[in-house]
Amino acid sequence: MRFVWSTALKDWQRHRRDPVGLLMWIGIPILIGSLIIMASGGRGGVEPKVQLLVADVDDSFVSNALVAAMGQMGGLIETEPVTREDGQKIMDDGKASALLVIPEGFGLAFLEEKPTTLELLTNPSQQILPGIAEETLSILVDASFYAQRLVGEDLQSFAQGPSGGANTFPDTDIMQFSSKVNRIVDNVSNYLSPMIIALEKEPVVEPEDDDDDDINISLLFLPSILFMSLLFMAQGIALDLWTEKDQMTLRRVVTTPQNTVRFLSGKLLGGAGVMAMVCSITLIIGYAYFDLRLASLPLAILWSTLSGVLLMNLMMVIQVHAASRRGAGILTTAILFPLMMVGGSFFPFEAMPPWMVTFGKLTPNGWALSQLKLILFDDMTLTGLGKAFTGLVLVVAVLFAATARRLRSGFAQG
Amino acid sequence: MIHVEELQKQFGDLTAVGGVSFEARPGSIFGLLGPNGAGKSTTINCISGLLKPSAGRVSVMGHDVATDGPASRRQLGVVPQELALYEDLSARENLGYWGAAYGMRGDRLKRRIKEVLELTGLQDRAKEAVKNFSGGMKRRLNFACGIVHEPKALLLDEPTVGVDPQTRVRLLELVRSETDNGACVLYTTHYMEEAEAICDDLAIIDHGLIIAAGTLKELRAMMGERDLLRLTGTFEPNQVMEGIARLEDAELVQAEADTLTLSLANASARLSTVFQILNDAGSDIRETTLTQPSLESLFIKLTGKELRE
Ligand SMILES: Nc1ncnc2c1ncn2[C@@H]1O[C@H](COP(=O)(O)OP(=O)(O)OP(=O)(O)O)[C@@H](O)[C@H]1O
Ligand SMILES: [Mg+2]
Repeated sequence: MRFVWSTALKDWQRHRRDPVGLLMWIGIPILIGSLIIMASGGRGGVEPKVQLLVADVDDSFVSNALVAAMGQMGGLIETEPVTREDGQKIMDDGKASALLVIPEGFGLAFLEEKPTTLELLTNPSQQILPGIAEETLSILVDASFYAQRLVGEDLQSFAQGPSGGANTFPDTDIMQFSSKVNRIVDNVSNYLSPMIIALEKEPVVEPEDDDDDDINISLLFLPSILFMSLLFMAQGIALDLWTEKDQMTLRRVVTTPQNTVRFLSGKLLGGAGVMAMVCSITLIIGYAYFDLRLASLPLAILWSTLSGVLLMNLMMVIQVHAASRRGAGILTTAILFPLMMVGGSFFPFEAMPPWMVTFGKLTPNGWALSQLKLILFDDMTLTGLGKAFTGLVLVVAVLFAATARRLRSGFAQG
Repeated sequence: MIHVEELQKQFGDLTAVGGVSFEARPGSIFGLLGPNGAGKSTTINCISGLLKPSAGRVSVMGHDVATDGPASRRQLGVVPQELALYEDLSARENLGYWGAAYGMRGDRLKRRIKEVLELTGLQDRAKEAVKNFSGGMKRRLNFACGIVHEPKALLLDEPTVGVDPQTRVRLLELVRSETDNGACVLYTTHYMEEAEAICDDLAIIDHGLIIAAGTLKELRAMMGERDLLRLTGTFEPNQVMEGIARLEDAELVQAEADTLTLSLANASARLSTVFQILNDAGSDIRETTLTQPSLESLFIKLTGKELRE
């Protein structure tokens, strides 16, 4: 038992030596959470403004939509159209947070799925604001990427211009496209409203802004973001088994009187400690922000930490069966993203089509996340809790046994 | 006591160790000498519990490795050929963790850590992360981690590879002092001088088999009083063989078209005779090396090749 502790302590010491990694694990959920809250209007109060200069050389439908979307991020970003030269001058004077240059041909390239580059010059004297601009832009670019997947074909045909020498598109095309967009927007509007609407605002849809839903929407994101973070942490901590193998320390462990079960337990305990810290910070902030009933906070922290342990075991069992460190990384990433997307750990279940939710709740993270939601909203019954814990412990036990077995039978030696 | 009996280890079709037996006694250093790929590390790994032997019996201080693994490993200290350290931890933290793995703790562990840090000359850098250490310092720490729990039996797998001469001397002294304190040491190396300098008993291993074993003295005697003469050039093996047969107290160890190895007594005084015979046999000599009896010459005599590539 003592060796379990010293292994956990040793891993904590190692995590502490890597403050950047640790800060990422804590910082990412908080940063994304803040962005979403800001994007959906927040809860009022004065917020810092990001002054973003935009030199839209392209001046296309896509680039306009992008700029409009930036401007709509909860009023956090103030965009100002400039020419490239003027923008550069203002930046040189240090009078704006960032300058975004949208190159000629960006819109067309985007629609045709060719690689394009956006240029973002940031003001080195401001530390946080340009960072927000950068983060927002990258989220929007991702969002546009998904939008492109959903309606890309239609957009492409529009980009190529009307067919048969006509000057305008036939009404039927426009109608079809609008109703398709409408359907998609209906499906995703709850969480993506500012972004998608901005994209569609000009040609088709009226923005449907219902303010009183805002707090609820952000609240739905709280468990999702926490689980996203847990998934990444689980992957990172599991990859440490490969580090132990590569730096031969795992071999040394095998030559001591200790066994791999104790070593693995220590490693999980170490990981669980870090996860408990991240869960506590995120949930305490979340509880305070959303005024949730504090009585369920300890249970929420405990449950999400244990869920993290479950995910860690899942990642570990995959990692130790991979042929190389690189293979392990690719394999877990390939599993991580679908799990994250389908399992409600990025977009909440409430924003997904029902068939996907049914499927998503069967993923380990999706299942654990829906239990956490019950805890957060005080809907968890005692029997439900008992069942959930039993299920979790059973699955963890099976995964743990498989990993420990593999560690003993060749992973350390190979 | 480390007792190895008919140890075999197969990797698929490859026989890395093909039936090796020896015994390392307390208070003495047993050297396992052999070229790259001879099976030294494989043997050590079978003793340390890292590999499962394909056949044979291994015991450490009376505990069978196969049936009594944890007890046998408790007696063992291992210094692996490749560094096995936590790069982001300090020297002291590394030692603390490995000490704890053998059940040490509290004041006893602290005292021992201080001691091995001094022994390996790392006390001034004890708090620094290992990743900032030089290669030689890492070697020393790797060694320290293997002896921190005061093991009764030590497995040292080429512990001096890549260190400067002073560090080497220091490490060898350390090995000596561990033995003087009663430890039983198994030491692998492909450095002849090292083996000759510190080993009490020796086995020469090649292709997974022990080809000679005994004390240093016994092995030297196997060479007789003969020197070893290595020649390169162009030779006519058959004619050379006839010529050498006429030579008294000489033996042809190996003969090929471009190299020739002879073992003969009092070689330096008889060089001109040897050259005469070889010339008569149609040889063209370009280079000559004369080695006096040593492990090196024994190895060459036994295998027909040099120990170091
Ligand atoms: N895990 C393994 N899988 C397959 N073959 C192996 C494995 N480990 C060692 N071998 C092979 O076994 C043979 C003996 O290797 P070993 O490492 O014991 O040699 P060594 O005497 O320690 O050599 P060196 O001086 O280079 O360290 C080599 O041919 C090696 O390729
Ligand atoms: Mg070796």
